[in-house]
Amino acid sequence: MIGIESLSKLRSGVAVLDRVSLAGPAAAVTALVGPSGSGKTTLLRCLNGLETFEAGAITIAGHRLTPGPHAAEVLVQLRRDVGMVFQQFNLFPHLSVLDNVALAPRLVGRLAGAEARRRAGALLERVGLSSFTAARPGTLSGGQQQRVAIARALAMQPRVMLFDEPTSALDPGMTREVLDVIVGLARAGQTMVVVTHDHAFAKQAANWVVELAEGRVARQGTAAEVL
Amino acid sequence: MKGVGRAVSGVLLAAGWVAMLPAGGAELDEVRRRGELVWAADQEGGGPHVYPDPADPRTLAGFEVEFAALLANELGVRPRFQQGQWDRLPLLLGQSVDCVINGIELTPERRRDYHCSRPYFGYALQLIGRRDAPPAAAADVAGTGPSGAWRIGVLSGSAAESEMRGLVARGAAQAEVVGYDGTLDSLEQVRTGVLDAALMDDCIFTFYADRFASLRAVDRPFAGGLYTVLSARDTPLLAAAIDEAIGRLIADGRLKSLYDRWDLAGRQQMLLLRDATEIPAARQRSLLELVSQTLPLLLASAGMTVLLSCAAFPLAIVVGLAVAIGRMYGPAWLRPLLTGYVEVLRGTPLMLQLYAIFFLLPKIGLALPALVAAIAGLALNYSAYESEIYRAGLKAVPPGQFEAALALGLSKWQALRYVLVPQAVRVVMPPVTSDFIALFKDTSVCSAITVIELTKRYSVLALTTGRIVELAVVTALLYLAMSWPLALLSRWFERRLERPAGGRP
Repeated sequence: MIGIESLSKLRSGVAVLDRVSLAGPAAAVTALVGPSGSGKTTLLRCLNGLETFEAGAITIAGHRLTPGPHAAEVLVQLRRDVGMVFQQFNLFPHLSVLDNVALAPRLVGRLAGAEARRRAGALLERVGLSSFTAARPGTLSGGQQQRVAIARALAMQPRVMLFDEPTSALDPGMTREVLDVIVGLARAGQTMVVVTHDHAFAKQAANWVVELAEGRVARQGTAAEVL
Repeated sequence: MKGVGRAVSGVLLAAGWVAMLPAGGAELDEVRRRGELVWAADQEGGGPHVYPDPADPRTLAGFEVEFAALLANELGVRPRFQQGQWDRLPLLLGQSVDCVINGIELTPERRRDYHCSRPYFGYALQLIGRRDAPPAAAADVAGTGPSGAWRIGVLSGSAAESEMRGLVARGAAQAEVVGYDGTLDSLEQVRTGVLDAALMDDCIFTFYADRFASLRAVDRPFAGGLYTVLSARDTPLLAAAIDEAIGRLIADGRLKSLYDRWDLAGRQQMLLLRDATEIPAARQRSLLELVSQTLPLLLASAGMTVLLSCAAFPLAIVVGLAVAIGRMYGPAWLRPLLTGYVEVLRGTPLMLQLYAIFFLLPKIGLALPALVAAIAGLALNYSAYESEIYRAGLKAVPPGQFEAALALGLSKWQALRYVLVPQAVRVVMPPVTSDFIALFKDTSVCSAITVIELTKRYSVLALTTGRIVELAVVTALLYLAMSWPLALLSRWFERRLERPAGGRP
C-alpha cells in the first residue's frame, strides 16, 4: 500500500532526503527511526503532500505522487485516504472534542451533521474518551488530547495512518495510554508509518523498521534485524 | 485665629486678583500697545470676502482684507489676520482675536451675544441653479422639484441656511437643505447635479460666475441683510472705536471707492448702509426652553451618529477580513494590490477620502447621496485598519492548525473558514471593539460632506443660540449614553476571552 522509490528532497540546495527507497512489505506497520535531523519527519510529511520533493516517486493508498507541486484536487483525494497525527496534537481549540472529530466527516466526507457526530462519538469511545465529548481540547491532558487527535484522523477511515513522534510531547506517564491505542490499531490491521524514538514501541508494534541518517537510509529490515 | 488669618489673606488675594484684571475698556489700550488689530476670517469661505491671492497664494486678497486694513489704520495699528473655521469664528473672540470680519450677518442672536458694529456691507440672497435645469424661478421651490423635494445647498450656519430652513418650516419651500463648510462646495454640487440649487450671498456668485459657467442666477436676489464686525461683549471701547472708524470710512467715501474697486456697487451699498435699521437683540432663553427646543434636533443627530457607525462598521469588518485573507492566502498577483489598498487608505486622512467619494466621483458620473458616501468612506477607511488587525489575528494562530486542517482533507478555503478565521476572531475581538468606539467618534468628520451628526449639530446650535456650555453638557451626555453600552459590550467580550480556555498541561 506504500511504495517509496528513490525519493530526494532539497532544502536551500542541501539534500534533506537522498534517494530514499522503502524495501519492506507494502501493507504493514513501518517505523521510521534515527537521530534528530535525519529526515524522518520530512519523509513522513512527503507521504501526505505537506512537503513536495525533487526526485523519485511515492505510491500510497492507490495515489501516486510525483516531484514538484501537487494539484489541489490530488491532495484532497490523497488526504481522505491518509490520516496524520502530529507531535503537538494540533487539535482545534475553538471546537469541542466531538466537533474536532466530526469536522472532516462533515466537510470532506459530506456526512450529515448527526451522522458525522455519531461516527465521532463511536471513535471517541474506541480511544476511551466517550465522557469528554463536550469538553474543549485545552481542558484535557496531553495523553487525552493525542488520543482525540488519533480519533480525528481515523474519522475519515483512512487506509494509511501517519504518526509523527506521537508521544514526544507527552510526559512519560502519558505515553503508555497513547501507545496502547496505536498498538491496538496495528493489531487490527491498520497500515501505518510511525516516526518514533521509542525502540521498545518499535520492537513491539513494527514489522518493518527504517533507520535514517543524514537523509539516507542507513539500515532497514525487521525490528530484530535493525534494532 | 489661624482661620481668621487665612480668611483675611484670602480676601487680600482676591482683591489683588481683581486689581490685576483689565478694567473695562483697557482692551483698546492693549490693541494700541500691541500695535496690531487681530481679525479672524476663514479663507476657505472664498471670494470676494477673503481668499488666497491667486497671484501669490501666501497672501490674502478680498474686499474684507482691504476693509480690515482700513479699519486697523483708523485705529492707528496694523491688521493681523487669524485663520478660523467660518461657523466657529466668534468662538475665537476674547482668546487671541480682537474682532471677526467675514461676511458675518447681523442677527438678533448675535446682537445679544456679541458687540455688533454698525453694518459695513449689505447683501442679498441669490438662488443659483443650472442653466439647463429647473427651478426656473425662485417661487418654484414652493412646489415640488423634479424628483420630490428640491435639494438646496447652503453654507453651514449662514443667513442663507436660516432663511432656507425658515422657508421650509413655514411651508414656503419644499426642500431638503444641505449644509456645507465652504461656499464653493455647494456650487460644485449644483454643477455635478447632486443639488438642484444653492442659496448664497449674491456677491459670492457674482465673483465666481465665470468659474461656474454652466450655472446661472435664478431670478432676482431675495431677502438679505447686513454684514457686521463682531467683537467680544466685554470690550466696549474697542467696539465703539470700530463703530467710529466705520463711520469715518463711510463719510469720507473710502468705503464706497473700496466697493467700486471690487465691482460691489459702491453707491448702492452706501444707500443701503444709510437706511440700515437697527436690529433688536434677541431674548435670552431659559435653560428649560433651550433644552426643549434643541433636544429633538440633538437626538435626531445622535441617531445619525448611530446609523453611520452601525452601518459602516460591519462593512469595514467584512471587507477588512477579505483583504487580510487575500493578502495572506490569495494569489501572488493580488497581494501587492491589497497591500497598496491598505497603505493608501491608512496613509491618507479620512476627510480627504470622504471628499474624494463625495466631490470627485460625481465628476465621473457616480453621484452618491451624502449618507451613502459617508458610510462608504468610513467603511473603506476602517477596513484598512481592520484588515491589519485580522492579519495579526490570523498570524497568531499556530501554523500547525492550518496543517492539521489540510491533513484532514479540508481545502484551503475550508481550513480558513472553519479553523483559522474562528480562532483569529477570538484573538482580535478586543482591538476590534475598541476600533468600533473610535469609528463612532470619527463619524463627526462626515459633517465635511453635509451629513449632520451630533458634533456638527452641536456646533451649529451652539453658535445660533450662543449657549455653548449648556449645549456642550447635553451633547456630552448624549455621547456618553451611546458609548457606555459599547464600553459594556467590549468588557463583556474581554471577560468572555479571559474565561479559562485551559492551557495545555
